[in-house]
Amino acid sequence: MLGMLTAATQLFAQNNGNEQTKNNDFKPLLEHRILAGFNFGATAPVNFPNTIRKINGYWPQFCPSLGYELSYRATKKWGASVAVKMDYKGMGTKDEVQYFPTIITTSDGGRFAGTFSGQNQTTVRNAYVSFPVSAVFTPNDNWRFSLGGYVAWLFSSNFYGTVSDGYIRNGGPLGAKIIITEATFDFGKEMRTFDCGLQAGASRRVGKKLSVMGNLSWGLRPVFPGDFKGMDFPMYNIYLTLGVAYKI
Amino acid sequence: MNLRKLCCLAAILGSLQSCIKDAPQNPEADIVSFTVNKDDLTGDVYIDQTNAKIRLYLKEEAFQKGIVPTITVSAGGQVSPASGDSLKFDNNGIKKYVVTSNNGANKKTYTVEVINIGTWKFDFEKWDTLSYEGADFHYLNPAGEDGHSVWASGNIGIAITGVTEIADFPLHATANAYEGKYAAEIETRPGNALSGWMNIHIFPGSMFLGNFTTDSMMQNPLKCPQFGQPYRGMPKSFTGYYKYQPGAKFQDRNENIIAGKTDACAIYAVLYNGTERLDATNILTSERIIATAILPDGSAKADWTHFDIPFKVTGTPVAPNAQVMMAIIASSSSEGDFYRGAIGSKLVLDNIEIVHE
Repeated sequence: MLGMLTAATQLFAQNNGNEQTKNNDFKPLLEHRILAGFNFGATAPVNFPNTIRKINGYWPQFCPSLGYELSYRATKKWGASVAVKMDYKGMGTKDEVQYFPTIITTSDGGRFAGTFSGQNQTTVRNAYVSFPVSAVFTPNDNWRFSLGGYVAWLFSSNFYGTVSDGYIRNGGPLGAKIIITEATFDFGKEMRTFDCGLQAGASRRVGKKLSVMGNLSWGLRPVFPGDFKGMDFPMYNIYLTLGVAYKI
Repeated sequence: MNLRKLCCLAAILGSLQSCIKDAPQNPEADIVSFTVNKDDLTGDVYIDQTNAKIRLYLKEEAFQKGIVPTITVSAGGQVSPASGDSLKFDNNGIKKYVVTSNNGANKKTYTVEVINIGTWKFDFEKWDTLSYEGADFHYLNPAGEDGHSVWASGNIGIAITGVTEIADFPLHATANAYEGKYAAEIETRPGNALSGWMNIHIFPGSMFLGNFTTDSMMQNPLKCPQFGQPYRGMPKSFTGYYKYQPGAKFQDRNENIIAGKTDACAIYAVLYNGTERLDATNILTSERIIATAILPDGSAKADWTHFDIPFKVTGTPVAPNAQVMMAIIASSSSEGDFYRGAIGSKLVLDNIEIVHE
């Protein structure tokens, strides 16, 4: 995760000393922007449990992000913004796990608890309506930075995959062993419908009205409820939106 | 733009990899293999992982002199007494092996059972209640004359799918006996959501001489039952008493009701060559089969019905000292191996016997 933060800091660093501010007569004003981009990132544990042994693959899903932002520039440099966005957040990953605890409950009240060792492939693709609220810093005409939080509601969820080439032990590491060539799982319906977190972004003007932007959103609420035991660690939505902002 | 995307992705991937922690130490404490000189055996050694039993099927001499097993355990684990220590079957001999897992947190204690069927008569008067540590299920299994387990069923497999209560398992005891207090009742039961994931919608009732291994439950359930117990010589006939009531609606593998079709029971005994057990893929087709005794009529029988089926020799008769195995198999749904049958089909068995020549 450090790498991501470093990348963000570098974006900030480029800006230093770029320009002199011409602080003449500034009147507070409202700005409107259309935001469009793609989300890249992961729905993942922040702290990896030692049962995850290897990440064998990662690929982003087609995750568009589209929204409208209203901002209020109180002073030339400082302002605030609120936006409404439709955000797809997703990824695919292949990993290898060992003694991975899982509890599966079924619609008829059935319950299977066990530890799995083997290969896992997971696809996540969730759609949220999110509402970011930010403080905005505009040091000059070219750059714009924001920092704030977001709340989001899930309206469509996918969290499914396969486990293969391994075995599961019923009840724990000493229980009955069942070899698994391939089995599927689908936890889409188990996901929490409300997410919230922090977000920070930067944009650089590239045209009269057009800017390119990067915006990192970091979920602080686990995507599965506390009583879900399919995975015994919390997972968070950590995504970077790369795209454009068009000022209207 | 593209370059930045790539950099960010690389950063994310890189940071994920760097989060991988040291491997957890092995928490498993299995006896993986227990190897005995083949010449000492009447049947292959069976390790019952769910009930933590080492089942040995020994020739008389080996039983008298003792054996020297080679034991392997889960990676990094320790077994006591050690592999290569001799195992004697007197009062002072080893009765248990304790395996400690590599992480030190788990211990599994295996009990040694020497299986030898003295009398091939089964009255189903004694039953064991089986479960294991931490499990919330209990099911019944007929107890052998010396308390060791010679019978098995699919009950453990069904327990894994989440069935917990004794009466909900296909095989259980019933007070509806031909003689004595109890008889064995086998009932085809409905599947559940978890079994449905494997496209299994009924749990056909079964019981058999042998063992049930859970390993291949998902890969190929037909390989789970390991049929047979060591036998000596040639059997004459297979006798016993049974009642059978087929369930109302016969269904195929995909839960379609087949109108006009009635479920049937299956009761048979198979004598075969060798010490390696046959399973449901080959119990009636293997070239190692010597003789079979198959109940010809699987239809409904409301009252206790006697059967006395002579063994029909279909393969090469045995040389006097050859190792042979005898399997007895009973099912409340004769097509249960393909998960076809009627929920509620009920077979009750009592006082069954292999009559020796």
